[in-house]
Amino acid sequence: MSTPNPNPDTGEVDVVDPSFTACPQEVYKRLLQECPMAKTLGTDSPVLSRYEDIRWALRHPEIFSSEMDIHLGLGTERPMIPQQIDPPRQTRYRKILDQRFSRRRVVEIEPRIRAHANELIDSFIEQGECEFDQAFAIPLPCQAFLELMGLSVEDLDLFLELKNGIIRPPVPHTDLEAAQEYRTRTGRRIYEYFEKLIDERGAHPREDIMTHLVTTEIDGRRLEREEILDICFLFLLGGLDTVTATLGCNLAYLASHPEQRERLVRHPELLDDAVEELLRWETPVMMLPRVVKQDVSLGGEEFKAGTLVTLLVGAANVDETEFEGADHVDFDRGRNRHLAFGGGPHRCLGSHLARMELRVAMQEWHRRIPVYSIKEGETPRYSPGIREVQYLPLVWPTGEGAGS
Amino acid sequence: MKKVRVDLNLCVGHGRCYELAPEVFAEDDDRGHCRVRLARVDGELEKVAQRASDNCPEGAIFVEADEG
Repeated sequence: MSTPNPNPDTGEVDVVDPSFTACPQEVYKRLLQECPMAKTLGTDSPVLSRYEDIRWALRHPEIFSSEMDIHLGLGTERPMIPQQIDPPRQTRYRKILDQRFSRRRVVEIEPRIRAHANELIDSFIEQGECEFDQAFAIPLPCQAFLELMGLSVEDLDLFLELKNGIIRPPVPHTDLEAAQEYRTRTGRRIYEYFEKLIDERGAHPREDIMTHLVTTEIDGRRLEREEILDICFLFLLGGLDTVTATLGCNLAYLASHPEQRERLVRHPELLDDAVEELLRWETPVMMLPRVVKQDVSLGGEEFKAGTLVTLLVGAANVDETEFEGADHVDFDRGRNRHLAFGGGPHRCLGSHLARMELRVAMQEWHRRIPVYSIKEGETPRYSPGIREVQYLPLVWPTGEGAGS
Repeated sequence: MKKVRVDLNLCVGHGRCYELAPEVFAEDDDRGHCRVRLARVDGELEKVAQRASDNCPEGAIFVEADEG
């Protein structure tokens, strides 16, 4: 018999187990009931699950800090800005970045994202099937990112290659050394790509985020080259996979819950609430790392300075103390204070962009392909950490009678 | 009549309030944080203000008794 996850005897949870990332809600429930202060498997590193504990931790970066001493092994040479630095330094960067990622700004590019979504759908709709991740969920957020940054859409393939080189290096799964080497090499290429852009925008300013980063001032000074690079690195790593994963999780859920899908198609006015409820239920970015900066007591547990902690936001989002009927996906949920975009000062910088992309993608997909399901005999495959549905074969009727 | 109050120390700009209740809340010009447009609400407006409060992940919005 396999070991239960979480293991009630040891209080350990395997957060990267494939069956956990595929269907985490049951595990969350047991964690909340049996061990709301668990440890990650094989380490002494605490895993927080309760809504109130996690919300408190997110609000207190001076205690649960994002400034890790250890490198997260993502090919970066310095911390990413503003994600891996804390207030008050972080606040100065957020002030200039929040403006550029505000709802008002992202609405400006909405028509172009809608056009991209339709072009992608055009490319496969007649075939009656697609592998959703490759065909739609990966390219769309990448196009949105290029639009917002003011970069050439011709760079799409290069961008996907660079992003994958960091997140999924094309080396054997077990060869950690080769993976790290590949990431470092890719990291250098990413720095080079953005260095070139900094020079170009410095010489020929435009109305885009890249130019803004080159010309804007913080406390009366322009950003250093390295600061701009550390911001761009985060954009590339944070802005693409997360929306890709959310699109995959949403479609995988709706493909296997036809009654919910039909309701959404019949009542498009439910879409915004459905997007929020699926963010809560699926929580594609299921966990956030933090390091304890000062000894603290939280939720009846003592945490020593220097301890690495995992905030399992996915579990917080199904905590009954906050969400009534938490294990029901309810598009009519009137109260939904989910933490899928985190919270506190590190709230996801791209949350307005992500919501716009999700809304547009879900609207256009369901308008054009209202009936779909997972290909018979196939099982979707989810990646750990950020729950990208890396394999999601969908089928739908074509020709006469389709679209009803 | 109820009073609408936002704790700006808690607001971090999720923007749920001005998405859900644009009659009562607006996006500030600076960082996309919350700005109260209508500080006193009743009837339908009280309902939408309450809905914004119920969907603020930071719990930063209060729709409370108006004591003048």
